[in-house]
Formats: sequence, structure tokens, C-alpha cells
Amino acid sequence: MMMPSGQQLLLPANPLFIWASLIAALLLNMLPLGRVPWMPDFMALVLVFWNVHQPQRVGIGLAFMFGLGMDVHQSSMLGQHALSYTALSFLGIMIHRRLLWFTVPSQALQVLPLFVLAHGLELMIRLIGGGTFPGWWLLLAPLLESLLWPVVSILLLVPQRRAPNPDENRPL
Amino acid sequence: MPLGTLDRSPPSFFKQGPSSLSKLMFFSALSLFLMVADIRFRITQPVRAVLATALYPVQWLALQPVRIVRDSSAYFVGLDQANASSEQAAQKLILQSLRAGQVEQLMLENNRLRKILGLREQLAISAMSAEVLYDAADPYTRKIIIDKGLLQGVALGSPVLDESGVLGQVTRVHPLVSEVTLVIDRDLAIPVLNVRTGARSVAYGDVTHSGDGLELRFMGSNSDVQVGDLLTTSGVDGVYPPGLPVAKISKIERRAESAFAKIYCTPQALVAGARHVMVVKPVSAQIPARPETSEPVVAPKKGTPK
Repeated sequence: MMMPSGQQLLLPANPLFIWASLIAALLLNMLPLGRVPWMPDFMALVLVFWNVHQPQRVGIGLAFMFGLGMDVHQSSMLGQHALSYTALSFLGIMIHRRLLWFTVPSQALQVLPLFVLAHGLELMIRLIGGGTFPGWWLLLAPLLESLLWPVVSILLLVPQRRAPNPDENRPL
Repeated sequence: MPLGTLDRSPPSFFKQGPSSLSKLMFFSALSLFLMVADIRFRITQPVRAVLATALYPVQWLALQPVRIVRDSSAYFVGLDQANASSEQAAQKLILQSLRAGQVEQLMLENNRLRKILGLREQLAISAMSAEVLYDAADPYTRKIIIDKGLLQGVALGSPVLDESGVLGQVTRVHPLVSEVTLVIDRDLAIPVLNVRTGARSVAYGDVTHSGDGLELRFMGSNSDVQVGDLLTTSGVDGVYPPGLPVAKISKIERRAESAFAKIYCTPQALVAGARHVMVVKPVSAQIPARPETSEPVVAPKKGTPK
């Protein structure tokens, strides 16, 4: 199989774990921490991560559904997050074959434009719809999401990096 | 198959489903349709209600950590602070008990006088208490979510108060929760009365970067307003009961080039940290219907084609 040299062959991803991580991201987004414009969107981050790593399992339809959920939770315009997650997920799937050939820090740099675009899309829709401009702190959100990419790549790949045949020295 | 991953089953070779591009087209069109239906036609309430009910368990779970931290920090508040607050409460109670005694008598007197004069009885106000679940995280609006909904009998458009004034209005009702738009939201307007002068006007929400407040629009630059004037609800809208404090005037800018003064107000209610609120039934149901008006005869304008 073609793959970057010197990397560990990963175990198959557990669908239950994928779902659990998506629900956990939804929970993180729903924490009532007030109205903070620069809060990173954990849902978008985890969705893009799985779009890149498991495009067969986590696709555009799922992203759309989670986007609708976020819209109802934030009581924002219905379809705003849905559209931004749909675009994000499409772009994630577009670059998934190329992205995994790079190292994780350079992957983080390459997903930054995706997050900027998603937040820009939301801002544009809301300003057209007559919302208040939330301030320039909004620019920090895609940056933080991109900085969290290495963290998420380590955390969510841990179950796939376990030993294929556990023994006494490697119990997990 | 993803790069560098073992998979137990090979990906299907021929059955690929619709392409990513067509999926993008479909879901983008669907979300655009939903946005238009939501903002322009306002017909998405059933979709929202279903999704909100489905999300309720997740929301409840997400609220727990914050609630635990808040409760435990409240538990560990120092004893002297608790003593001081109870002292304050007792003093306030003494002051209020005097007034409460007077109020009974005044109400009796007022009722008799009203009967003598043949005036309409004052509107009865029915209210229920609710708890604020969370501030809606949407940074483009100013809304909060409360824990009472359709099942508890919250009506659309009900005014919401806290202990110090008007907080906002219920703008969406889901089965278990409701959404309240705060008075500082840009889309909310509230008819007010200046207590000092008796002048009626309308206060609009005004969200700026320096701070959230309200603005009195369309008041002439020579109008009689002073910093510190209290604005209460005027009751002419048929939604808010009259006499509730809304805001205080904090700053007045009179400009030579404009016919209107720019009047900034600070809300009286705790728009940033209210926890317990009161939802009041809108008084419009108790107001008698408007009398039938006969169609006015309009003379045709000159120059219009017939």
C-alpha cells in the first residue's frame, strides 16, 4: 500500500468511537460559557478531522445534520451552521488524499483556510440577515481551531494506534 | 480506504453513492432554503421544536458541569458574607413591610375610587417563574434560553422580567424550553414612558462594542430629557404591563447638525447575569377588542389612472 514511510500502520477505526467523539464535540460546543465570539468550534474541528481520516463514514450529510443541531441550540438562523459545516466537510473530503502525506503541524496550517472560510461564510450570512457585527475577536476562532488540530489528531488516533496483538508488555 | 489504515472490509468499488460535489450542491441548497424559510417566511418552527426536543438530553448533560461548579462555589461562600446578605435582606424587608402595609390600604382605596369614577378595573397580571438555562452563544444576537416551554404554558410574546426590571420578550417557544430576546437586542423595541416628564417614546436595543444598552430614537434635540431619567413601560402596546422599570438614561448627545438627540440608556434588568426570571402573560388578551371601523372613503388621487 502507498503510504508515507516511517509511519505506523493504523488499526481500523471503531464506528462507535467516531460517534462518541462527535457527540463529545457537540457537548463541548454546548457548554454554557456565555457569548464568546472567539470560542473555537469543536464540532467543526472534529467533523473535518473525520472527513479527512474516514471520508467513507463521516460525510457531508452528517455534517449538515450536526449543523442543524448547532443552529437550534444557539437559536441562530436555521441553516447557518448547516451551510458552513457542509462547505467545510466538502473541502475536507476534497483535500483528504493530499493532506495525510504531510506532517501534523503542516496539516494544521493547511486546514486553517478551511476554518477561515467557514467562519467567513457564517459572518456573511448573518450580516446579510441583519445581525450585529460581533467584533474582530471573531478572527481568533479559526486560528484556535487550527492550533487545536495537532491535539485532536493525537487524541482521536489513540485507539487506532494500539497494538494489534496485545500481550503482557503491551496490554492495551 | 484511508491512507495508512488497515480495514477489515475493502471499500466498495462500484457503489460509491452520489459524488461529493452533488452532495454539496444538495445540502447547500437545502440550508439556503431553510434560511429563507426561517428569516423571511418564519415557517420552520416545527423543525426547530422537533430538533430542540431531540437535543434536550444533550443540552441537559452539557449544563451539568457548569451547574456543579456554580453550586459548589456558592456553597463555599464565606459565613460572614452570608450573614451580611441576610442582614441586608432583613433591613430591606423592614423597609418594605411598611410600604406593603400601605399598599393594602391604598389598593382598597384605589378600587373604591375607581368604582366611584366608573373606570375600568386594572388588568390582572398572571406570572410564572423560570430559570435561565444558558445565554445563547450566537454572537450576532442577544438571546437567552429559559427552562419553561409550551408544556408549562408559556405563550409567544410574553414579557420576561427579573427582580429589577424588564428583561425581554419570549420570541420562540419550544416544547420544553423557550427563547427570550433581551431588550438590548437590535431587533427588539419597547414602548416606554419617561417617569419625570410623562413623555412616551420607544426604546430600541443598541449593541455596540463599548457596551450593550438601549437607545431612544427620534427624540428632538430640544426634547426634555435628562441623564438619570427612569423609563418605565408605558402599557400602550398591549404586551407589557404598565409601570415596569426598563432603563435609565445614561448619556445624551445633542448635535447641531441633527434634528434628533442621541440618547443612550442602560437597562435596569440584569441582562448579563440573570438567573431567575418571571414570565408574564401578555396583557393583550384582557384588552377589549377594537371597535369596528367603517372603511374611510378615499378620494382618488389626481393623476392616477382609473
